[in-house]
Amino acid sequence: MKALVYNGPRDVQVKEVPDAKIERATDVLVKVTSTNICGSDLHMYEGRTGMEPGRILGHENLGEVIEVGPAVDRVKVGDRVCLPFNIGCGFCENCEKGLTGFCLTANPGTAGAAYGFAGMGPYSGGQAEYLRVPYGDFNCLVLPRGSEEKENDYVMLSDIFPTGYHATELAGVKPGDSVVIYGAGPVGLMAASSAVLKGASMVMVVDTHKDRLQLAEKLGAIAIDDTEGDGVDRIMELTGGKGADCGCECVGYQCCNMHREEVPNLTMNNLVATVKATGGIGVVGVFVPEDPGSKDKLGKRGQMAFDFGQFWIKGQRMGTGQANVKAYNRMLSRLIEKDKVKPSWIVSHELPLEQAPEAYENFDKRKTGWTKVVLKPGKSA
Amino acid sequence: MTENVAYEDAVDLLDADHKAVKKLFIDFNALCENDAPAEQKQKIAFRICQELTVHAQIEEEIFYPQVRKAIGDDALMDDALEEHNEAKQMIAKIQAMDASDEGYDDMVKALGTLIDHHVLDEREQIFLQARNAPLDLRGMVPALFARKKQLQQSAAKPAASPKKKREAA
Repeated sequence: MKALVYNGPRDVQVKEVPDAKIERATDVLVKVTSTNICGSDLHMYEGRTGMEPGRILGHENLGEVIEVGPAVDRVKVGDRVCLPFNIGCGFCENCEKGLTGFCLTANPGTAGAAYGFAGMGPYSGGQAEYLRVPYGDFNCLVLPRGSEEKENDYVMLSDIFPTGYHATELAGVKPGDSVVIYGAGPVGLMAASSAVLKGASMVMVVDTHKDRLQLAEKLGAIAIDDTEGDGVDRIMELTGGKGADCGCECVGYQCCNMHREEVPNLTMNNLVATVKATGGIGVVGVFVPEDPGSKDKLGKRGQMAFDFGQFWIKGQRMGTGQANVKAYNRMLSRLIEKDKVKPSWIVSHELPLEQAPEAYENFDKRKTGWTKVVLKPGKSA
Repeated sequence: MTENVAYEDAVDLLDADHKAVKKLFIDFNALCENDAPAEQKQKIAFRICQELTVHAQIEEEIFYPQVRKAIGDDALMDDALEEHNEAKQMIAKIQAMDASDEGYDDMVKALGTLIDHHVLDEREQIFLQARNAPLDLRGMVPALFARKKQLQQSAAKPAASPKKKREAA
């Protein structure tokens, strides 16, 4: 089959690889019809993770079931399914509680597994023609009839929509709250959309990319352009000097200052500064325990100079980590089915798998207009 | 624009300035410890001076006179003005210096200490009494905000470095 393979830093290639297949009785085999490029793929693309060359990328996957293992009951051939980027077993202590991003079975030595992701187990990604889905009955979200027409909406259930929603859950967003979101990338925009959905009274989105800030404005959020470094002042002004009720981090460890230099603690400390005393902070941007490629001494060790004193004195709360996609995807899927939300509005490019390498390059450069790429492995170039 | 001003009352508005400037002083001290380039330090010090100047002016024009009338404590208010004057003198000195000049860091740090002291006094004495006094602190917000914006805009216009400005003067 054809698949997008990681060769090394900034080098990915579509090439012929052995077909994905059923390996265990609980597996499901999916013919991938939509698979997104995620911002977190870029950490790997840039060589800023321990990703091994030769691996297939892609953890935002949707497709049609073409084969099921003998121990699969619920999922049938022909079902159209969206796969959470996390792989959960369904029966460990964490999966039982809905914390499927921290499965204790699928990736020994680490809590949590995913497709085509550094440090998240041996599973191949879905930027390919076929994808093996472990524990198929548990992991597949079977989509409603007619889902083909909204495929670009449903595919967002694999990661960014639940991840954005999770940011607002971690931050504790309730109706009437003011919310500040750092990052107007796809996840930040989904967090903004989720905050609007939850009835936030004011949503502020901070970024330096004007094209992305415009998208935030389309959601009814207030765009905060931090190009001049005065974002904090603006937020404090909008919140009457108190700070927002809740804040979300949707950027991660490669966050940059106004000069496009990486400053790993920038968004975290700005959150502490711009969330009110006793407010909640949700961190879904990726941070890593080790970052040898960092120019920052602390960053290399996965550390940062965090304004912990301010954080403590303000009595803030913080929730962190990957979204447990399965905790939200069914409920969010209904919102798509009933036309309450349309996350596909974020899609800027729909491309055949063959064009994935150039898509990676453009997305990585944050080229204007490259917000979200959906690859369509079934369609030819 | 003023109808959307979010500050609940004058104290919130003024204390937000205190917090913002405190953060800048912390950043300045960190730059000193890290032996950062003079231009980085100068940039922060410049902002500190600018923000304090605007802050002091709106307090003196709008907030202080009304508080003085409401609480009737002339000694307290005179004290506060005296501290403002001290700060202004130091700000003038800092603005006339270059960050590479000897004594620059110490001067900015000394200003920080003075401001810390002034802010504490203001919070514990003036703000608290003002809040307890029959004074329309909420109603004061639009005027304070509008004046602050006006002063910030006119202060932001000359982009020349402080030293050049002095030479030109």
